[in-house]
Amino acid sequence: MPALFFNIIKLLFLLLLFLFLWQVARSIRSHVGSNPGARTEGIAAELVILTGETETGRVRIRPQGHVIGRSPDADIRISDPYSSEFHARVGIQDGQVVVHDLGSTNGTYVNGRRVTSPTSVTRGDTVQIGKTILEVR
Amino acid sequence: MTRRAETGLIIASALLAAIGVAIVEFTRGNWLNAQVALTFLAFAMSFGAMQFAITRWATGASSLLLPIASFLTSVGFIEIYRIDSDLAALQRWSLLIAAVSGAVLLWILRDSGCAVLRRYRYVILAIGVGFLLLPLLPDAWPIHGSTVNGSRLWVRIDVPGTSRVLSFQPGELAKVLITVFLASYLAERADAMSVVDRKIGPFKFPEPRHLGPVLIAAGAAFLVLIYQRDLGASLLLFGIFIGMLYIATGRSFYVMVGTVLAVIAAFAAYSAFDHVQRRIEAWIDPFGHYSDAGYQTVQGLFAMGSGALTGSGIGLGRPDLIPAATTDFIFAAVAEEMGLAGSLAVLAGFGLLVAAGFGVALRSRDRFRKYLAGGLTIVIGLQAIIILGGVLRLLPITGLTLPFMSYGGSSLLANMVIIALLLRVSHEERL
Repeated sequence: MPALFFNIIKLLFLLLLFLFLWQVARSIRSHVGSNPGARTEGIAAELVILTGETETGRVRIRPQGHVIGRSPDADIRISDPYSSEFHARVGIQDGQVVVHDLGSTNGTYVNGRRVTSPTSVTRGDTVQIGKTILEVR
Repeated sequence: MTRRAETGLIIASALLAAIGVAIVEFTRGNWLNAQVALTFLAFAMSFGAMQFAITRWATGASSLLLPIASFLTSVGFIEIYRIDSDLAALQRWSLLIAAVSGAVLLWILRDSGCAVLRRYRYVILAIGVGFLLLPLLPDAWPIHGSTVNGSRLWVRIDVPGTSRVLSFQPGELAKVLITVFLASYLAERADAMSVVDRKIGPFKFPEPRHLGPVLIAAGAAFLVLIYQRDLGASLLLFGIFIGMLYIATGRSFYVMVGTVLAVIAAFAAYSAFDHVQRRIEAWIDPFGHYSDAGYQTVQGLFAMGSGALTGSGIGLGRPDLIPAATTDFIFAAVAEEMGLAGSLAVLAGFGLLVAAGFGVALRSRDRFRKYLAGGLTIVIGLQAIIILGGVLRLLPITGLTLPFMSYGGSSLLANMVIIALLLRVSHEERL
C-alpha cells in the first residue's frame, strides 16, 4: 500500500514539472515569431536614422513630408556615398506614411524590396537608402 | 507574458521546490517541517528580488528568463536537499546572495545600461583574466589557490583572526567577464573579420591578421588546461570564443579552424598528460576502469538506468552512491529519482532558456548587445551540453557545473549575473 502511495506522489510531482513547462512554453509561443515593430499599432510618427549599427538621428514625420538625400538642400541630409542628391521622399497621405523614390541611382528599398511606385509603410518597416537604414516608428 | 504571469510562475517553482523538500522529508518519516517553509521562502525571496529589480529598473525586460531559471534551480535544489540537507541549507544562502547580486547589477546598470560595459571593456578583460589566473597563487599566501581532485580551480581566503576560510571558484565569473569583453571587441572588428576573400585552392581565407584572436583564444584555453588541469573550463572558453566569432561574422571558416585547432590540442593533451589519458580511457571503456577512473561514470550510468521511465521517486533512490552527485553529476541524480520524464523536463528547461536567450539576441538592434546576449546564452548552453554529455557518456567527463542546478555558490552567482545581463539587454531593446 505505501508503495502505491509513493508511486502516486511520484507521478503527481512529474505532472507538476510538465505543467510548469507547458505554461512557459505557451507564453513563449505568443512571444516568438511576432515582429517586435509590428506589434505596436497606430500611425507611424518618427523616422529613426541608423547608419551602420548606431542610431544617428530621429525625425518626426511632418505632414508635408521630407526629401532625403545627399544634397545640402535635402530636408534630411545623409552623408552616404551611395545616396543620390535627392534620393527619396517620405510623406503622409491619407493618414499613412508613404515612401516615394525620386529616381535615385541606387534605388530605395522598403523592407529589403526595391520600390518602383509610392509605397506605404507602417511601424517597424525599414527604408534603405544607399547604406543608410531608416526605421519607421 | 505579463509580469503577473511571471510572478505566478516564480511562485509556482518556489512551491515546486517546497513540495520536493516535503516529499523528501516524508520518505524520511517526517511530516512538514521548517525546511519546507524555509525553502519556499528562499526561492520566493530570491526570484522575487530579481523581479522587483525588473519592475523598478528594467521594465521592458523579457519575462521568460526568470521563470525558467527558477524552475531549473528548484529541480536541482530538490536533489541537493535529498542527497545532503546541510549543503542544501548553504545553497539557500548562496541563492539569496546570487539573486541579490543580480538585482544589484540591474540597479548599477539602471541609467547607463550595457554601454558602460562596453566603455570599460579592457578593465573587464583584465579582471576576467585575473580571476582566471587567481587559483595559481601560491599556497602560503593569505589568498591562495587550492588543488581539489587534481584541478586547481579554487581560491581560498583565510579570514584574519579566525580559522575560517572563504572559498570560491573565480573561473565561473571569469567566463562571464570574458564574454562581455569579446562582445564589445567583436562589435568593432566583425566587419573586417567577415571578409574572407583570399583564395588558396578551393578554400577561402580571411586576412591572416584576423586569425590572431582565434590563436590567442586557443592559447589561453590551452594554458588553462595545462596550469589548472581543467578540461571542462578550457573547452568551454574555447567554445564560447568560436561560437561568438561565428555569431559575429557568419563565417563557417572560423568554426572549421577552431575545430581543427581543438582536435590538434586534444591529441596533444592526450599524449602529454596522463590525467587526460585516464579520462579518455575511462570514457571509451568505463566498465573496464570501474575500480578507478571509470567509477563515477559507471555509477552515473547505473543510476540513470535504474531510474527508468518515471524514476524511483524523490527520496527513494540511492543517488548518494554517485561521486559528486550534488555538483557535476546532479543530472544523474535527477534521472535516477525522477526518471526519464524528469530528466527530459530538465532538458526542455535548458532548451527553453537557450531559445529565450537567443530570442533576446535576435531582437536587439545594436551589435554589442546582440553579441552579448548571444555569447551569454552560449555560455549557459555550451556548459550544459559539455557536462550533460559527460554524464551521459557522449563526451569524456570534464568537471563543470550544470548551470542553475548544481550545488555551488560561485556557479549560481555567475548564472544569476548572466540572467541579469540578459534581462538588461532585453529591456534596452524595447526602449
